[in-house]
Amino acid sequence: MVSKSLRISQVGLRGIVGTGLTAGHVLDFACAFGTFLDSPGVVLLGRDPRSSGIMIREGAISALLACGHEVIDLGVAPTPVIQHAINRLDAAGGVSIGASHNASEWNALKFFGARGSYLSSAQADELLDIYHLKKFALVDWTRVGRLRQVGDAIDRYLDELASVYDFDALRRFRVVVDCCNGTSALILRRLNQIFGFSFILINEKIEGVTFAHEPSTTRDAVALQLAPLMAPLHADAGFLFDVDSDRVAMADESGAPISEEMILPLLADYLLPRGAGKLIITNFSTTALLEDIAARHGGKVLRVPVGRQAAIDALGAHRPEQIALAGEGTGAVMMPRFRFVYDGIASMLAVLSMMAERGEKLSGILSGYPKYSILKGQVPLVSQRIPALLSSLRERFPDGHATAIDGLRVVWPDRWFHVRVSQTEPIVRVICEQHGDAPRQLFETLIEQVRSFA
Amino acid sequence: MREHLLKVGVSGIRGVVGEFLTPSLACSFAQAFGAYVGAGRVVVGRDTRSSGPMLQHAVTCGLLASGCEVIDVGVMPTPTIQIYVSSIRARGGIALTASHNPPEYNALKLFNAQGLFFNNYERSELLDLYHQSDFRQATNAEIRRVSSDRESPARLHIERVLGHVNAEAIRRSRFRVALDSVNGAGSLMSSAFLRDTLGCELHAMSVNPELPFPRIAEPRADTLGDLSALVVQTKSQIGFAQDPDGDRLAVVDETGHVLDNDDVLALAVDAVLRRLPGDVVVNLTTSSVIDDVAARYGCRVWRTPVGEANVVETMQAARASIGGEGSNGGIIFPAVHLCRDSYTGMAFLLHRMAETGESIATLASGLPRYFRKLGTVAYAHGRLGSLMQALEENFPNIPSDRSDGLKLSLADGWIHVRASNTEPLLRLAAEARSQEQVDELYARVVHLLSNPAE
Repeated sequence: MVSKSLRISQVGLRGIVGTGLTAGHVLDFACAFGTFLDSPGVVLLGRDPRSSGIMIREGAISALLACGHEVIDLGVAPTPVIQHAINRLDAAGGVSIGASHNASEWNALKFFGARGSYLSSAQADELLDIYHLKKFALVDWTRVGRLRQVGDAIDRYLDELASVYDFDALRRFRVVVDCCNGTSALILRRLNQIFGFSFILINEKIEGVTFAHEPSTTRDAVALQLAPLMAPLHADAGFLFDVDSDRVAMADESGAPISEEMILPLLADYLLPRGAGKLIITNFSTTALLEDIAARHGGKVLRVPVGRQAAIDALGAHRPEQIALAGEGTGAVMMPRFRFVYDGIASMLAVLSMMAERGEKLSGILSGYPKYSILKGQVPLVSQRIPALLSSLRERFPDGHATAIDGLRVVWPDRWFHVRVSQTEPIVRVICEQHGDAPRQLFETLIEQVRSFA
Repeated sequence: MREHLLKVGVSGIRGVVGEFLTPSLACSFAQAFGAYVGAGRVVVGRDTRSSGPMLQHAVTCGLLASGCEVIDVGVMPTPTIQIYVSSIRARGGIALTASHNPPEYNALKLFNAQGLFFNNYERSELLDLYHQSDFRQATNAEIRRVSSDRESPARLHIERVLGHVNAEAIRRSRFRVALDSVNGAGSLMSSAFLRDTLGCELHAMSVNPELPFPRIAEPRADTLGDLSALVVQTKSQIGFAQDPDGDRLAVVDETGHVLDNDDVLALAVDAVLRRLPGDVVVNLTTSSVIDDVAARYGCRVWRTPVGEANVVETMQAARASIGGEGSNGGIIFPAVHLCRDSYTGMAFLLHRMAETGESIATLASGLPRYFRKLGTVAYAHGRLGSLMQALEENFPNIPSDRSDGLKLSLADGWIHVRASNTEPLLRLAAEARSQEQVDELYARVVHLLSNPAE
């Protein structure tokens, strides 16, 4: 199979800059977005610190100006801050340039509509059609847009956080944060300066080329640098953010790295009793602990295919007040109070609020949940053989409850597995989870069977 | 022949902004340019057109994508950008300006490491690279930054100009000067140059770079009525008019009369040759007054096809003292830089006024008097060759020059006929010692061109 890193899809475009994602793609896609939005409008732009973001920013600004939009550049800014500013400034939409949890040679463009919302599938498909048609609504010289800068986006975002969370109660925590050289440092420094927090930051230098480690919000990444610091620094909790701050992972006060799967159940436990919304939207690959927690609070779990787009469409199919939260087992969580935007910072503050309100340590809260063990693996794929693979798996495990909406998910009372094709890489992902100890035997059987089709 | 609103050719790209000159085109052309000059520093500046920022971001994107470092000089006259490129030893430069063209146009002017327009060989190599579209794509680690320098370009330019005039004498004269910068790139720099550097009492109009062009952008007798009125009203001793990118200069005398651009060039040639005798290079359409002035100092005149690049190439080869193109107000003084430069022109004229104590009208009246007639004649596509041949045969035994259309040099006058590059038109320029002679010569040629023998 020819391996190209560029992917253009409903969630935007991403790729390795130079070999996959080029200036030409950026110009054309940003022109398509400028055409998609009603012109003239106000469009916001921000980026994560990757060096290639400087180049992409220039192209995106040019394209949006050429479509007649007024462009507001937020500079290096976390994605949730960009989305917040779109809503606050009543802009028509916005663009976040950044590759989130991917390595530094990657970059991506994410596109947001009014109020900072993600595009629905219908909108995203229209945008893709415009991109492929390449007939852009470029304006004449009298209507070319102007660029301006806004410098207070982070402070105004913090105003909103301060109105939601009890900062007085949260300030007393001693929290260590691994910023992974990304944008979270910008927010956390301001929280320290303005609101008197005492976040201890590591890898806080904003970097364009070399990140301290892979910026993924996984338990393994937490274990690298953050977790070992917890006990020596006598910290109450530790958090790790991806480069654009929409995802978060954590370590408890003892220095144990916590599975990335735990953020969503933890916040579900916090939010379900607090609001009218009782529905949790997540994907088929996320921990079954969610069902247990939903049951405690009279909530319900709706599982949809993996990927942001399916979650967005599920959200769009419900009234906002029905929903408690949405998210996935990657540390990405959307809360209604924050307009259903993946926001690692807001998620962290919710975890701290939970600790404050319950007067418990993080490890104490987590120990109150049933124990699940999850195993994740991947196998290179041969696309043509996927249907045969899935049907063979189904025959192999006839006794479980099967769902075939996104690959194959088979559920038993105490365990489940999910085998699906990755949307971002040419691999098959294998995930299985069991109440109690890890389902090693099931996992090995699955991997072996998937491999036999590779 | 159809009218083309976009021209991608050896002189770069020029076109009407919107559907024709798109950001994608500007970006990929700049990427080809960056690939051609190599990964180093490239200077980018622009005139004051509304499309300037949009195109500048596109060009910056393309340059960064090719691995170049971009130095943004913002709104800056073209000669100032050229001088800056050579001063800082950059790899090259790009000016976003359509010079004297209407505001709906814009263009990329390309400069090599010496700050000169690309020569023919460079231009065709670049064009090949552009068409091949196989650009160098910088990776994240190779993408460099954008820095800006808004102060030193003007300083470097003015310092060079002041090295060739008696600034102290000009300052002592306290000239009353009117200025019309057409709200172009020269607006702020010319005001500072005349008022602060040369100590003039300045009466400026159209020096707000934020506003659109208030008149036809090309500075000609029929577009400078407001400046003439300003000269008369303020009793100014001279009036200067620039085009939007500050390379062309037109001059109004103290009576409000707009001087013939050929006479302005002749005064500059005179000012230079009396101190620095040497060869003079002008295009075929420039007045014979240049030959007369050169003859005063025993200097040689070279004639080239129309176009700044042609004049500059011959000036380089001949190591000329001065050159230019009369009809379009271009004065090229290589000791400052091999480019059209309105600042050198302004300084020379004020210097001559200070040195002689004479008014600009008096200085101009000291030039030999010629009568000129310019015009156009439409022609049928495919008839150009036979028209030129018939014309040449109709003037037997008359010296002719075929290097750019046809120039016939009679005993007491000349006529130059050349095809427009952009429209199906023949451009005619005729000159003679008397009005009757020029009218007769012009009418004879128009008749021949309009009634070709079948």
